[in-house]
Amino acid sequence: MLFQSQFYVAVFLPIVMGCYYAAAHSERARHWVLIASSLFFYTWWDARFLPLLLGQIGATWFLTTYHRCSSSLVPLRIGILLNLASLATFKYLDFIIDLIEAAIGFQLPRANFVLPLGISFFSFQLISYLIDRMRGDAPIYPLRVFALFVLVFPHLVAGPIVRHNELIPQLVLNPLREGVYRRLSTGFIIFTVGLAKKVLLADRLAPVVDPLFKKAHLQMLSLGEAWSAGLGFSLQLFLDFSAYTEMAIGTALMFGLLLPENFVRPYLSSDIREFWRRWHISLSTLIRDYLYIPLGGSRNGPLRYVLATIVTMSLCGLWHGAGWTFVAWGVWHGSGLVLHRGWQRVGYPLSKMAGWLVTMVFVLVGWVLFRSNNFATAWAILSSLTGSNGYSGALQGGTTLVIAAVVSFFMPSAHEIKDRFALPYPALAVGAAALVVFCLLEVGKGAPSNFIYFQF
Amino acid sequence: MIDATGTAEGWKRFVTVFLVALSGSVVCVYLFILLVDPYGIIPFSLPFERRIVSISQAFVYPQIVLSKKYDSLIIGTSTSRLLDPEYLGGRFNVRLANLAMNAMRAWEQREMIDYFGRRVGPPKVLIVGIDRVWCDQDADVVRHNPYGWPNWIYDDNRWNDYLYLFNQPTVEIAVRLMGNKLGLYRERIRFDGFEVFTPPESTYDLDRARQHIWQDVKPETSSNPTLLTLSLAEKASLSFPALKWLDETLQSLPISTVKVLAFMPVHIAEQPWPGTKDAAVEAECKTQIVEIARKSGSKVVDWRIHSPITREDVNYWDNIHYRLPIAQRIQQELADAILKGKDSHDGSYHILVR
Repeated sequence: MLFQSQFYVAVFLPIVMGCYYAAAHSERARHWVLIASSLFFYTWWDARFLPLLLGQIGATWFLTTYHRCSSSLVPLRIGILLNLASLATFKYLDFIIDLIEAAIGFQLPRANFVLPLGISFFSFQLISYLIDRMRGDAPIYPLRVFALFVLVFPHLVAGPIVRHNELIPQLVLNPLREGVYRRLSTGFIIFTVGLAKKVLLADRLAPVVDPLFKKAHLQMLSLGEAWSAGLGFSLQLFLDFSAYTEMAIGTALMFGLLLPENFVRPYLSSDIREFWRRWHISLSTLIRDYLYIPLGGSRNGPLRYVLATIVTMSLCGLWHGAGWTFVAWGVWHGSGLVLHRGWQRVGYPLSKMAGWLVTMVFVLVGWVLFRSNNFATAWAILSSLTGSNGYSGALQGGTTLVIAAVVSFFMPSAHEIKDRFALPYPALAVGAAALVVFCLLEVGKGAPSNFIYFQF
Repeated sequence: MIDATGTAEGWKRFVTVFLVALSGSVVCVYLFILLVDPYGIIPFSLPFERRIVSISQAFVYPQIVLSKKYDSLIIGTSTSRLLDPEYLGGRFNVRLANLAMNAMRAWEQREMIDYFGRRVGPPKVLIVGIDRVWCDQDADVVRHNPYGWPNWIYDDNRWNDYLYLFNQPTVEIAVRLMGNKLGLYRERIRFDGFEVFTPPESTYDLDRARQHIWQDVKPETSSNPTLLTLSLAEKASLSFPALKWLDETLQSLPISTVKVLAFMPVHIAEQPWPGTKDAAVEAECKTQIVEIARKSGSKVVDWRIHSPITREDVNYWDNIHYRLPIAQRIQQELADAILKGKDSHDGSYHILVR
């Protein structure tokens, strides 16, 4: 079920909220309401993967409980391996077979598994819990609460990636506690912002971007087409993913839960490090804490820093998809981070504007790699961006691009809206309601389109 | 209790206003759509005469069928849209509706004939304007036109239509319909489906038409066009998926239905060049259509030939669309050919099955 669908907004959400608040005083009852609704939400797409999801949750919980009895770390290590194995099987098996094939030189059969929705997100969440448990930073939770931590539908499919200590303490709080109307109001506003970004901007950029990437698969683009593709996808990806996050955070707030911030206007970054502090924050902090720092981080000499950064970012790329273009995207960003650090050491700081420009061009090149199905397509667009195929052509979807850029640069983040911009003005309530109705009418034109990050 | 940016009472009012405004707007808009029922398809809408105020043909034509004012139909693509059902209905002595649509795919034509049969009963007269879409080898892959095809309207469940009506185009058409009732908005298509969609004849410009007709056309020639035929193996490898649907549809109609297949007269620039493989493939498709027609007792008239009509640029707006006087000639020739068995005096058409 998609957040922007008429069914979600007009049927699912009101019914679940009604049941949840009716059961607000009973922790057990409201937990079951959330679990049941989350399972319904997940199976709406594909019920076949429910056993996998429940299996991973159940196995992780069982192994951590067993670890408490045995005090050996083996059960936790097995838990990490199980979650990694599930991810490897469903997401990377064919990629691994490709590698073996290239090494041995003859064809092997493919698994052709359908990617279970949200597997990258819930697997990482479970792994982070197991690692925290190994570090002695995580208690054993009751199964119901633990399952809910993973299942709760606002973040289940595409994040933000939530850690146990961020969410579980909130699950015991009565949603009718002080501030309920403010939480509901800010939830409505943040959800509306996400809905409008998805329906009115991100989905309107897709018809500009998709044909151009398809065309680049076969031929070079004109200068105008190449920049339309690059800029268009950069904006589309941000608006699409941040819209999903805002709808997730908005929905969670309606249930009295606060999910972590995921995007803080990343396209205002004036260096690549700042970009990663503003882009997909829940993932970047997760890989920082569980990968980059254990690999040595920045405090064990320059060589170790370079290695840790490149390996971390390559795996970050691979997390997004089983393909070499994703790995290359990760290496590109890892190299950027290393270069940035090196430049800082040299001591010739760029002006804010020059830094922003360099960063944005760097990020755009990365997004072209990220979006392209293969290196030939990426090369066709990247070389066309420099004018190698002539200087003809105009920007396509100009007005939409400009509006999308303005919104991307200046729209406050979900938490900023919550803390600073959501004000209890009745006019704002009417405006938000009107925007929701307008978006629902827009969505009703055809089947609502998926979020880009659902494929990861 | 004071919150950081407002009182608890203020936030409570915000929630109330938001929920009332949202639910109120959704209910009002939806109720308006249901009462006006711009597509004339749902049960329990306001009982008033609905005119066609939108050119979204796939959405608005079903109400023509549901009105049960018509017992016969014309189907096809835009090349059949200028056939006036009033004239042809008079000649055939039936109540005829023209349900041909722009870029209508073969599958959709079959769906519309089937829908008519389910809602009204077998037509007294069925005229199918045959175009390239019936001979497309990917007809079963590309089943729908690019403008959208609402399967939910054409199914047997009228109750599921409620799920698809809350959208911006439907609101817009409902508003137009109200505008039409108040005399503020004109009817876009006559209720029998007829619309002169070509520009006014007074604006016709032959040079411009020639640009449209001949752009992108590269005539291919063969040294000996008459001898180019397909081998048995080549014929066997050809597949015309839509012809199976045509066969099934025609077979399903009773013997009493007058069934007419009319190959519509597109300009020679649009027809495959004689002697080419495309021409041979089209000839094979025609042959198979004629066989299908014979089996079902249908009549076949062919204007899709090199003729005084299709050779003259001045008869066309572009390579597909003929002008209004030609439309009037074709509908007259069609009636004469079917009702009187009259052959063309100048070779503009051939009667392939009488």
